Amino acid sequence: MPEIFINGQAIEARDDQTVMEVAREHGHFIPYFCWHPQLSVVGNCRMCLVEVEGRGLDIACNMPVAKGMQVFTNSEEVQAHRKAILQFITLNHPVDCGICDKAGECVLQDYHYEYSGQRSLSHDEKVRSTKFYNLSNRILLDNERCILCLRCTRFTHEVSKSMALGVERRGDVSNIRPVEDRPLSEDPYSDNIIDICPVGALLSRQFLHKSRVWFLQPTPSVCPGCARGCTVQIWHRKPEWKLKALDQRQNENIARVTPLDNPAVNGPWICNKGRDLAQMFERVRADEPMLKGRPVTVPAALDEARRLIGAARHPVALVSNWGSNEELETFKDKLGEVFHCFVKQDWQRQPGERIEDDLLIRGDKNPNTTRARELFGHAEPDFKDGTDLVLVWGEGFDFARLPPRAGIIFLNSYLQPENGHADVFLPVSIQTERHGHYTNFEGTISAFEPCFEKKPGVLHAEDLIKALAAPARGHP
Amino acid sequence: MPGRQLIMTFPVTATSHALPEYRARGGYGALAKALGQMKPQDVVKEITASGLQGRGGAAFAVGRKWQVVQYDDGQPHYLIANADEGEPGTFKDRWILENNPHMLLESMLIASYALNVRNCFVYIRGEFDLPYRRLAEAVEEAYAAGLFGRNILGSDFSCDIVVYRGAGAYVAGEASGLISSLEGKKGYPRNRPPRLTVKGLYQRPTVVNNVESLSNIAWIINHGADAFKAVGTPKSPGTRLFSVSGHINRPGVYEVELGYPWMKFLDEDCGGIPHGRGIKCVVPGGVSSKVLTGADIANLKISHEELWDAGSTLGSGGMIVIAEGTCMVALLQVLMRFYHHESCGQCTPCRHGTGWLHRILDRIVAGDGRADDIERLYYISKFNDGTTICGLGDAAGYACSGILDKFRDEFEYCIEHKRSKFGGNLECLRSS
Amino acid sequence: MKHLVPEFEKLRERFPAGFESSLALPCLRRIQEDRGYVADSDIEELAVFLGVPQIQIEEVLSFYTQFRRKPIGRWHLQFCHNVSCSMNGAENVLAHVERRLGIKPGQTTPDGRYTLSTVECLGSCGTAPMMMVNDGYHENLTLAKLDELLQGLK
Ligand SMILES: Cc1cc2nc3c(=O)[nH]c(=O)nc-3n(C[C@H](O)[C@H](O)[C@H](O)COP(=O)(O)O)c2cc1C
Ligand code: SF4
Ligand code: SF4
Ligand code: SF4
Ligand code: FES
Ligand code: FES
Repeated sequence: MPEIFINGQAIEARDDQTVMEVAREHGHFIPYFCWHPQLSVVGNCRMCLVEVEGRGLDIACNMPVAKGMQVFTNSEEVQAHRKAILQFITLNHPVDCGICDKAGECVLQDYHYEYSGQRSLSHDEKVRSTKFYNLSNRILLDNERCILCLRCTRFTHEVSKSMALGVERRGDVSNIRPVEDRPLSEDPYSDNIIDICPVGALLSRQFLHKSRVWFLQPTPSVCPGCARGCTVQIWHRKPEWKLKALDQRQNENIARVTPLDNPAVNGPWICNKGRDLAQMFERVRADEPMLKGRPVTVPAALDEARRLIGAARHPVALVSNWGSNEELETFKDKLGEVFHCFVKQDWQRQPGERIEDDLLIRGDKNPNTTRARELFGHAEPDFKDGTDLVLVWGEGFDFARLPPRAGIIFLNSYLQPENGHADVFLPVSIQTERHGHYTNFEGTISAFEPCFEKKPGVLHAEDLIKALAAPARGHP
Repeated sequence: MPGRQLIMTFPVTATSHALPEYRARGGYGALAKALGQMKPQDVVKEITASGLQGRGGAAFAVGRKWQVVQYDDGQPHYLIANADEGEPGTFKDRWILENNPHMLLESMLIASYALNVRNCFVYIRGEFDLPYRRLAEAVEEAYAAGLFGRNILGSDFSCDIVVYRGAGAYVAGEASGLISSLEGKKGYPRNRPPRLTVKGLYQRPTVVNNVESLSNIAWIINHGADAFKAVGTPKSPGTRLFSVSGHINRPGVYEVELGYPWMKFLDEDCGGIPHGRGIKCVVPGGVSSKVLTGADIANLKISHEELWDAGSTLGSGGMIVIAEGTCMVALLQVLMRFYHHESCGQCTPCRHGTGWLHRILDRIVAGDGRADDIERLYYISKFNDGTTICGLGDAAGYACSGILDKFRDEFEYCIEHKRSKFGGNLECLRSS
Repeated sequence: MKHLVPEFEKLRERFPAGFESSLALPCLRRIQEDRGYVADSDIEELAVFLGVPQIQIEEVLSFYTQFRRKPIGRWHLQFCHNVSCSMNGAENVLAHVERRLGIKPGQTTPDGRYTLSTVECLGSCGTAPMMMVNDGYHENLTLAKLDELLQGLK
């Protein structure tokens, strides 16, 4: 346990630590571009230069701790050099923040304000390079903005292992490039490089020029895309910046999804499916209860459902593994004795989707199979003993498999043909409209919060379950 | 010849590079002595005692580098001879490769024996053709004679060698860039720590030494550290090969005993400057060393210590002589174009700084200089010093500030009058 | 590339085990010697043969100045224009060749005979000015020597 000194403060460090790591742990911020806690050290941006007594300047990210060393993270020399590094970085950088999606969360912008504020000392033309290079069907690359920190290349070599990115040429005409003829599209983790790019060189095509980030706010959530249950942030328009003109749907839509750093589940990464939650959640929604396809009021639909439940002799429930822990527990508590319950797999693997790997992606493409099975067991749905009523909670079950003469109560969120075939159809809210928790395949529980308001005709499943368990009106 | 010789000891003929003649000169005697009479540790001790300094640029003590390698640490060790010879003005390793390749090979065998190396390499720049063929031939001769391979000279020492050709990158001459290149990758230098002697080629302890540094080993083992120290000066033992070029009547490679008077060397051995012109300055050791004016060197001896005192270094021994009447602005432009072209592009200051220097020089030469350009050149040089992964960034800065320090007036003139004080002239041809 | 595989296998024997990646440069040099340049198919095949990421081969090809991805003229004239050569008349000899061939550095004559390039120091500073023609060095160049040489390059 060597003792070192950072800005005069004595600190007990571990032998295997670098000065960068120790400084961060103890609240001495050292600016950095290329360093990343999950990637190997390349030490090329030189932003983290610090001064060591008797040794002069060197980079903190590659500096092992040594007993008694005196490190200064903010000496005059250090400040002068940081300023110079920023001069070099912006020498050929286009500084086109006005049209850059990263503006507002760009490390280069922040550091410029914090450590330089100086105008460019150059009078010469900038080196021009490719703008809007097609890195994949999801990502654009702006080589002029790139500061060659090599986080993106290291990500594809060390984390996602697609080996898809490298550096072409050398010197100030070096360019990040993908493997020829085999773009990054095959890497299901590719979009993480957009997040870890410290500048606006890597751009999401989905998000391109969609919104300035300061109009958005993040809500913590959990990706339901597979049993990993990565924690994410769902970005949506801030209430105070709600659009009154233009396309008002933007107020209700997911602007983008980013990882929520979580060592217990997903670290700082998510897969591309997690980025595409909008595609899942923004399908056309069902927002009216129906009886045999005929729109009715919520109380009327509830009444009919309760009547069917009361009359049934052998009711079966197919419980959704997209239900939250709270919803599943409420179902168990309120209706567990009424129904014979099976866990239903709402989602199956889609064609072309990666099945499973040793980074994040799991073969079970549902978020809460773990808790659902804990409560309702592992058995496959089975209707043999004269089933006369089936409650189907959630999508993904082929109605042709239901016993022909049984009544159907269907709880679903999206507009789908089956809705009209049910005796009672009840629209339920989706994850982005409610609170809840999922239990992932390892038993780790993560929370999600609402981003948007639900429609009036739509019910939260938890309320709905309680209502179904209440004594039926009009019955003795 | 300037002083005593250890390497260029024989007249070069059409066959003097071949094994039989090398043997006739006593070749591979040092190897036999090392294998027969010395323990590996004795060899390291002898080299350390000799005070031999690296000839590749930094003049780092060879013995001190070797001592870091733990003979018996259970991992493979590697030895690499650096024959990349890319420093402008330097062509002395080429002399060894073409004319005395077995001296290098014998020395590498001894070094491999001392450092517990089973596989050694020569990394030779890709453009070298004759030097490569001569070296490759020598390797084949040596294998045929049982000097490489298993149980060399009947001992239990075995060693193999690969001659590895580069493909055009100055930065691959930097020891860690070389290692990246030898791993079949682009020649990106690596941050220290770890030192290469701890984690080098494929993360194994690796010694990289210059061709000339290594070539001295056989001599030292043959004659002993004391005999080596008796040559040269106390702080600069031995000799150095100088590549002399530029404005000089007899350019070429010279072996100079360290401590030899500089002007005597240039005037008598190298035939002086064409047309009797005066010396404006010399680049003492490859373009990455700071220039010294004629006045600076008038009374200097050629040794590491005197050069350091004068604010420069012997570097790679690439001595470029520059006559009066040469335009230093145009000369610096050529140098900055070189560094700009050769920066690998990893480090922020070097990637952008070298191009910035180059663009400013282009502009000054084109008559578009600005009053703050000189200050800016200094600024860029300063912030490349000590802030980069390898020495290329620093070197560009030294070359630039070195010339500005001595010839600032020429730059001011060029900026103010929009033309060179010396007509942009670089040439001073030998009358042939 | 396939027909070179036996040669590559021999090459591999010289290296210690686990040095497959190191073969990238020598194999690419050999491919280029054989074909005149490195074709796209070579890259894929070599990456598979060596078991290294394809991007590594692409990076290497674009990093080093000697590799090329397209055919060039039969005679590649590479003039050093670094300090010592410039101080000994490189500009003159280069200008002379430019005039004679009617091309600038980076260009190839329309008949595909000559490609002209400028390069940095090739370690011939004591015998400046110099140029490389394909693999060979030509040193102490004069205009007369150049003319004679060009005559010989058909
Ligand atoms: C940019 C750069 C280029 C270099 N090129 C060479 C070279 O071509 N040959 C060489 O021997 N050393 C070169 N060096 C020095 C090497 O890094 C290394 O110090 C040397 O090979 C060690 O050998 P020595 O200790 O025997 O001198 C270069 C250094 C730098 C920074
Ligand atoms: S694209 Fe971004 S992450 Fe990749 S090297 Fe450039 S700046 Fe770094
Ligand atoms: S790994 Fe799974 S949970 Fe994580 S983002 Fe991808 S689909 Fe979502
Ligand atoms: S100093 Fe220049 S050449 Fe050396 S590693 Fe950095 S960028 Fe590359
Ligand atoms: S963060 Fe240390 S060099 Fe980039
Ligand atoms: S300067 Fe031309 S070969 Fe060295």
